[in-house]
Amino acid sequence: MATVDPALLPNLVAPWSEWERRATRGRRLLEAGTYALTEGAIAAGCRVFAGYPITPATDIAEYMSKRLPQVGGYYMQAEDELAGMHMCAGASLGGLKAMTATSGPGYTLMHDAYGWALTNEIPLVVVDAMRVGPISGITGAPGQGEFYVARYCTHGGNFETIVLSPSSVQEAFWLTIDAFNLSERFRTPVTILTDQVVSDMWEDLFVPDSTEPLDFVVPRALNLSMPFYPVGSAALDVPPNVIGHGTGVCVSAYTHTEEGYDIEEMEAQWAQTYRLVNKIRHHRAELSRYETLGLGDAEVIAVAYGANARTVKTGVLEARRRGVRAGFIRLITLWPFLDSLFERDARYVVCELNYDGQLVREVMRAAPDKRNVHFMGKSAELHTVAEVATALEGVARSGRVPELPFIWTEV
Amino acid sequence: MNKLAAKYLRPSQIPTKACHGCGIGMIENWLLQAIDELGFDQDDVVFGTGIGCVGRQTFATWGGDNFGATHGRALAVATGLKLAQPDKKYLIVVGDGDAASIGTSHLIHAARRNLGVTVICEDNMGYESTGGQFSPTTPSGYVTNSSPYGMVEPPFDPCDVVKAAGATFVAETTATQWHQTVKIVKKALQNDGFSFVHVRFPCNENFGAYALGTRDTLKNLEWIYEHTQGRKADGSPADFTWETGIKHDASNSRPEFSKLLRDLNERVRADLAAKAAATTAKSSS
Ligand SMILES: Cc1ncc(C[n+]2csc(CCOP(=O)(O)OP(=O)(O)O)c2C)c(N)n1
Ligand code: SF4
Ligand SMILES: [Mg+2]
Repeated sequence: MATVDPALLPNLVAPWSEWERRATRGRRLLEAGTYALTEGAIAAGCRVFAGYPITPATDIAEYMSKRLPQVGGYYMQAEDELAGMHMCAGASLGGLKAMTATSGPGYTLMHDAYGWALTNEIPLVVVDAMRVGPISGITGAPGQGEFYVARYCTHGGNFETIVLSPSSVQEAFWLTIDAFNLSERFRTPVTILTDQVVSDMWEDLFVPDSTEPLDFVVPRALNLSMPFYPVGSAALDVPPNVIGHGTGVCVSAYTHTEEGYDIEEMEAQWAQTYRLVNKIRHHRAELSRYETLGLGDAEVIAVAYGANARTVKTGVLEARRRGVRAGFIRLITLWPFLDSLFERDARYVVCELNYDGQLVREVMRAAPDKRNVHFMGKSAELHTVAEVATALEGVARSGRVPELPFIWTEV
Repeated sequence: MNKLAAKYLRPSQIPTKACHGCGIGMIENWLLQAIDELGFDQDDVVFGTGIGCVGRQTFATWGGDNFGATHGRALAVATGLKLAQPDKKYLIVVGDGDAASIGTSHLIHAARRNLGVTVICEDNMGYESTGGQFSPTTPSGYVTNSSPYGMVEPPFDPCDVVKAAGATFVAETTATQWHQTVKIVKKALQNDGFSFVHVRFPCNENFGAYALGTRDTLKNLEWIYEHTQGRKADGSPADFTWETGIKHDASNSRPEFSKLLRDLNERVRADLAAKAAATTAKSSS
């Protein structure tokens, strides 16, 4: 009889591991990641989409244009991504949950709107389906070049951001609901950083029946009284502000008071920053989503996220078959960065889809010894199982990633 | 405080930090008069602005709900907001830089969509809050801080642009035309669609000082007045003339944008319901 090594059972820490058990009635489909992102948004109560088409996020716009009118929502095709995200911010300020979706070139254009929504604590969800770049790059190939861009999605500093990344079609569905929930609870835009593979690929997908709202969806609440901005407070679950209910709320681009009035004083700047940074920093535990495998005895741990975490995970299993004590960490929450996952004194092999090395820098910062953090960068194509297994073997045996074609190890 | 200010504005937010003699406050007072004559309350109107003197000096003065978008984006925000709160009146008070330069694409497409908002473009013929550089509405040849040898580019008329794009109400006026401006703003607010009101006013500190050589409010207003008349006080012809008044009035002639989307919604949902009913009837027969 075959036995399963309990050390090799994946450990998923994410709210949907429980949601999956609760939502049992629904439809089983074979669908694309873009479809899952759309249906996840609709299940989360999203009723406005505004965006500008771009591969590989275009199908989200198309699905939305079909689905939103059916559920009483609105699809807007914006004149550009700047407009798209500002339209979403406006709709959300008016009380409707909203989402936009794009790829790198459009995500870059959204930074103005991102800053505005972030400062004004406007909940909404932004999908960036990453492709290899810079700029247009190769439209149909995956990349992971926006790890830092998503963190620093606008200028000026003095803020934290929430960024999540799914690695399967099914997970894209649940994670989108989660992204909406977090955006409501934290009053902030949330980025779903996905990639061309997850958005374009077709997999089995379970979509729960949606005749009534799912009980784990956080409904939109309305803040009808002062303070509109709890500056100086890290409190969660403050209802979002709404324009159009005569509350007298003021929403702007300036450093603001509790009322939303513009103010040019150090104390006000300090209090606003405290709010924008610490409402996220002080609630890291509530934002932890990740998957691990084999950490019990691991001396070399592969780290990845998104689509290529799938081949990396299989590479870890292959390395273990070859006798390497290998482990696996898949980040789902990319930001705020989960430093505590890297406390273990082991060797880390960070596999990401770029040659410049982004995630690896954060792991170097978080790990006990940055000399034990190795980079395995690839671009436009997923890591193969053989590459990962060979790299883990090499690191375990000789402390370095062996030379492999098209793999970069220098950071 | 005057009666209109007491009725509609926030005492804590006025007076603003606008320069002495600036026209922004005066024009806002005329907007209040139009709102008052139409019988609107604070709760009926959402006040949106952009960035610049016009944006910053009017933001949060309105006693109801306010938003101040980033530079140029007020109309993009308003597009989303109108969808969520279709019954409100929207007064979008922006500068020439906001409306006719950095935000032109939103201006054109809001006009094309016939978004139900009233844009008040308060045009001081330059980027004044950054110290007085030329803008797309600065008359050719005039000296500003970024056209020390005279502006060489041709300007355009934002009214022509929005009219071509499909705006259903377009008018031009100036800070020297009180009654006309109030009348025009009232008409603009009664259009359930995209209304554009272009109001030229003098910036004494920058445009006045550098292009016209004076910070004197009356002299600067006189320069504007001369250009609405086409001749100077001494009877000689002005270098150009602005035609003011209503330039295009197709108020309420085509559906407002958010209504188009709501109607689409209803049609799709009715079709779905009819289909579902047909399937049930089939399976039960
Ligand atoms: C994206 C961006 N670019 C530039 C600026 C700097 N800036 C602030 S106001 C302004 C010009 C404003 O001109 P206008 O809209 O005509 O307003 P005015 O100050 O003349 O009333 C500029 C360039 C900015 N705030 N944001
Ligand atoms: S700089 Fe010009 S436009 Fe700005 S407040 Fe002063 S006078 Fe008015
Ligand atoms: Mg100006």
